[in-house]
Amino acid sequence: MLLPSFDYYRPQSLPEALSLLGEMGEAARPLAGGTDLLVNLKLKKLAPKVLLDLGGLEELKGNRQDDGMISLGALATASGLASGGPEVPGLLAMGAGSLGSPQVRNRATLGGNLVTARPAADICLPLLALGAKAVLAGPGGERVVALDGYFKGPGYTVKEPGEILTRVLVDAPRPGVGGGYQKLGLRQAMEIALVNVAAHLELEDDGKTVALARVALGAVAPFPMLSPGAASALIGKAAEEINFSEAAEAAAADARPIDDHRGSAAYRRDMVRTLTLRALRQALSQAQGNQEAQA
Amino acid sequence: MSGNFEVIGSRAPRKDAPNKSTGKARYIEDIKFPGELAGALLQSPQAHAKIKRIDISKAQALPGVVAVITAQDVPDVKYGVSPARYDETLFAVDRVRYVGDEIAAVAAEDLATALKAVELIEVEYEPLPVLLSVEEATAEGAPWLHDQFPDNVCAQVEQEFGDVEAAFAQCDLIQEGSFFSKRQDGAFIEPNQCVALMDSDGVLNLHSSTQVPHYVQRTLAMVTGLSMSQVRVVKPYVGGGFGPKASATPIDLAAGFLAMKTGRPVRMAYTREQVFLFSRARHGFTHHMKIGVKKDGTLMALDHRATLDGGAYSSFGIATVYYAGSLLGGPYKLPNMRYHGLRVFTNKPACGAQRGHGGVIARALFEQQMDVIAEKLGMDPIELRLKNMMETGDVTCNDLAMSSLGMRECIEAVKNGSGWDQKKGKLPKGKGIGMACGFFVSGAGYPIYRSETYHCTIMIKADEDGGGIVVYTASAEIGQGSETTMAMIAAEAVGIPYEQVRVKSGDTDFGIDLGAYSSRTTLMTGHATKEAGENLKAMVLETLAQELEIDQSRLDIKNGLVKISGDPVDFSAIRIGYIKEHRGWQDQPSGDELTFREAVRLAYLRRGTLVATGKYKPPVLGGKYKGAAVGTSPAYGCSAQVAEVSVDFETGQIKVERITDAHDCGQAVNLTSVEAQMQGSVSMGLGEALFEEVKFDSQGRILNPSLGEYHIPTVMDMPETKCIVVESGEPNGPFGAKEVGEGAIMPTIPAILNAVRNATGLVLDETPLTPERVYLALKKQKGA
Amino acid sequence: MSKQAITLTVNGVARQALVEPNQTLTSLLRDELGLTGTKHGCGVGDCGCCTVILDGETVNSCLVLAMQAQGREVMTIEGLAKGAELHPLQQAFVDAGAIQCGFCTPGMILSAKALLDHTPQPTREEITKGLSGNLCRCTGYEKIVEAVQDAADKMSEA
Repeated sequence: MLLPSFDYYRPQSLPEALSLLGEMGEAARPLAGGTDLLVNLKLKKLAPKVLLDLGGLEELKGNRQDDGMISLGALATASGLASGGPEVPGLLAMGAGSLGSPQVRNRATLGGNLVTARPAADICLPLLALGAKAVLAGPGGERVVALDGYFKGPGYTVKEPGEILTRVLVDAPRPGVGGGYQKLGLRQAMEIALVNVAAHLELEDDGKTVALARVALGAVAPFPMLSPGAASALIGKAAEEINFSEAAEAAAADARPIDDHRGSAAYRRDMVRTLTLRALRQALSQAQGNQEAQA
Repeated sequence: MSGNFEVIGSRAPRKDAPNKSTGKARYIEDIKFPGELAGALLQSPQAHAKIKRIDISKAQALPGVVAVITAQDVPDVKYGVSPARYDETLFAVDRVRYVGDEIAAVAAEDLATALKAVELIEVEYEPLPVLLSVEEATAEGAPWLHDQFPDNVCAQVEQEFGDVEAAFAQCDLIQEGSFFSKRQDGAFIEPNQCVALMDSDGVLNLHSSTQVPHYVQRTLAMVTGLSMSQVRVVKPYVGGGFGPKASATPIDLAAGFLAMKTGRPVRMAYTREQVFLFSRARHGFTHHMKIGVKKDGTLMALDHRATLDGGAYSSFGIATVYYAGSLLGGPYKLPNMRYHGLRVFTNKPACGAQRGHGGVIARALFEQQMDVIAEKLGMDPIELRLKNMMETGDVTCNDLAMSSLGMRECIEAVKNGSGWDQKKGKLPKGKGIGMACGFFVSGAGYPIYRSETYHCTIMIKADEDGGGIVVYTASAEIGQGSETTMAMIAAEAVGIPYEQVRVKSGDTDFGIDLGAYSSRTTLMTGHATKEAGENLKAMVLETLAQELEIDQSRLDIKNGLVKISGDPVDFSAIRIGYIKEHRGWQDQPSGDELTFREAVRLAYLRRGTLVATGKYKPPVLGGKYKGAAVGTSPAYGCSAQVAEVSVDFETGQIKVERITDAHDCGQAVNLTSVEAQMQGSVSMGLGEALFEEVKFDSQGRILNPSLGEYHIPTVMDMPETKCIVVESGEPNGPFGAKEVGEGAIMPTIPAILNAVRNATGLVLDETPLTPERVYLALKKQKGA
Repeated sequence: MSKQAITLTVNGVARQALVEPNQTLTSLLRDELGLTGTKHGCGVGDCGCCTVILDGETVNSCLVLAMQAQGREVMTIEGLAKGAELHPLQQAFVDAGAIQCGFCTPGMILSAKALLDHTPQPTREEITKGLSGNLCRCTGYEKIVEAVQDAADKMSEA
């Protein structure tokens, strides 16, 4: 399959990249891992005149921790995130590790996944559940946007064409915090989720009450979505099966699935319920596990 | 039982493996031709439409375009797979019948230009009603896709053997069941590609990723009007075929015409999407069966209706609709069988032959129903099968003769190998175990075109210096290991080590071979190779006998050495002569036995270059009824499998935990290759059972023409697959060998179905068994 | 935009090429450098036939621009054998019967190499995860997994 013709530039710095982007407007597209963008070009879904390779931008590389917050570089690869480490929340590592294939994970980036914004995106969903924020650099400066509200539609976000997503901010992992990620597909690998759920739990010091919860649902809306119903069924309540079931019901009710050739809305809705329950159990296990380890 | 062989039955390393492991093996995309042009097809975006006008002028005018051709530029010759159904023209004349139907072809200096030119071809369509299902195509008033096929019936089969109604009247139980499967894809990893060029002899050469050089040669000759001597087809290494590559493709033919017109080599390749658009792969089947048994489990009768959604052209489908019925004649004793088969045209890519050709889904339903019958009769499913099993020498009601049938041994092997007795009825909730049987032809009894032609011919030439032999075969190595198999058979037949055999294959200049389809190569090409090898040996020994002045019957060759029975014979003159000729060589022959190389060298010196030939065609097989040819074969491979599954009741997901597989291949030629084919068959069966389905939208466009959305198993989806090779010794096979490539897929889907039923109680009647499908069935069962 | 000159290291050798901006790494390797071991199976990262090792990690070269390989190290299947001597992985694939049509083989072997470089003694589960981006239609994967296990054992003995 051939790629259409385009010009290629590799800016050396973020200001240079922003300047080029501003100059070329909608004719230019930033390129990171290419695992989505180049496919779309081959399938003739997009035809940019210029590709700006962000691979040389130091500002987008490296992860740093500062005062309980982690700043992840947008160029972090899925495989880099999947291998975890103290700076990568467990939930994010889980999602990243289930993306595509090893080869795709070695190229697909954190920023790319957020910009491409597919409804079932394996990195977007955990980040949404983690309450992450995206740093968008533009000609006028930088702005920080919460992911809750960032997604607008399939492939469509609040990011302006002239902006580059440079970093993602998440809370540093700490005891009593856990995540669960459930992905349903046909095969065990190389799948776009039929339904996926990311659950994030923060426990009170007693290890039994939910201080904070977020449940993010994938493939059941035009974009990755949070389930407000699941959150309210959990926050302040006991971290127990009965409340998890209620949260799962609420998540199923909040979901807005459609019928498509991969599956029916009804089935997806039922699976939201099942996967939410499983994700919450996973999250609890992790949260209690690291709380005990700390004790 | 395994014979006593020097080479046959071993795990000889494959001849092509090292080059494939280093990237040196060359597939068509790796072979460059000087001055080659890039070709591209214009394919219809409409599923059904009249063509009002085609304007190629803008395309022709594009700089870099060398030729543009449409139906106007090629002879008006219809072709297809079976002469009984030549219903295709290379380019659409006045009508397109599916999204992907070929309208024109372009040759340009580079691919980007060719593709751009294709976009510049203007076509005016007048849409016609689109028929996307058998129901739509056979409905009152539906337009006919082909003028010569009323009501869109491609083929209708009515067969009855014995008296089914009378038999049903004697039955204690008549079990009814239905099954509905979807169109699938071959999903070979190498997309189709070819290069056509005129050589310096004025011969049109086509290098193509094909399973059937001979049939492609014939089609190309017929459609171009060239003689067979003016067309040569060469097959480089092929990245898998599985059936859809068993006929000439539109790119084979279009490249041929473009090469003739431009005088330059023309390369044409399918993208992965185009592979889906071409299809010629597994039909979607609907089967209804009524199976009648006595209460002691005796199988009495089968009433079987099958409907095939055939797509827009016949392709192999005329045979498929027969195979769907005929392959249920065995392996159980079934005295009465009635079959109604119907293949219908629809506005979708044409379906053809894919591994197991027509028999796979029919077998799936039959084996599932056998299990249901067993349960109703209070019998173990294995017991029911063994009770009805055919024996070696039996003939089915539709005249298929089981010259060997190691089915009992296969069943015993998987029963023991899987721990069946420890598991059946004892597994925890959500887990299940199931088994099934199957069998398949070892080469179709008749060629696709009516002819008395040999199915294969072989030439073996001995190196004049005696160091080895070359086997020339037009047969098709497509990954199954046939080059290695022929080398081993030749080595065994001649009596020399495997390392001294070289094989050159896949070139129609080498002779006749019908190709790699219907699992024919080991048995048929193997026979011809064995014959040629024995003939070569005879030539050498004849000359040797004369030279030594002894009776030829005292001589044999084994392991590269001449064996002389009876009193010792003085061969020193021969050795001295050889050594004198090879003065300076470091490895002069020695030892107290004459070597093959000395014997061959002598034979060359006495009679000239030694070329032995071999040939094979099966005897006249089968009955005298219509369609009797389809299903006939000199031998049948058979198989039994046990599948163990886990079912997630909350999601409907099925995990296949283990497969135990036993296959009777008569006599393994290369033991590793036999196991490898067994494992590959299982993976394809598993994919078809659980994941694979080509989907269409309401406009007849394929929704999932990619390997990302058409899901074949990844390594993580495959269970450990234990293979047990059974060897019944096939009298009609060379050294007792018969097939493994397709018989081995037959039990997989029903073994999984039966295991899932064991785990859940569900009789699932539709594949693929996606999680949603299983989940809904579980929900319905709960509600019931 | 006209062709651009790039330099990169391929199988340990410094190479130069003139490439179009829209040329993939697969095309650079196959068409400019004549290394035809890397195959085309789908062009969109679904099959793994075009797998190469880029700076120590496997990638689908069909989704890497040639320009993006500037200054980097690429290993293709041709880089494994030492002259006529096969790499232990290649030998293991040959010995185990893990090669049938061979079209997936180069990509599969490179994925196995990258796996063993990171995890010299992988479990079966780690092997299947490491190879999960390479589709095979011929073998059913069983002998491939055996070959990798075999190679891992032999390479750790050495």
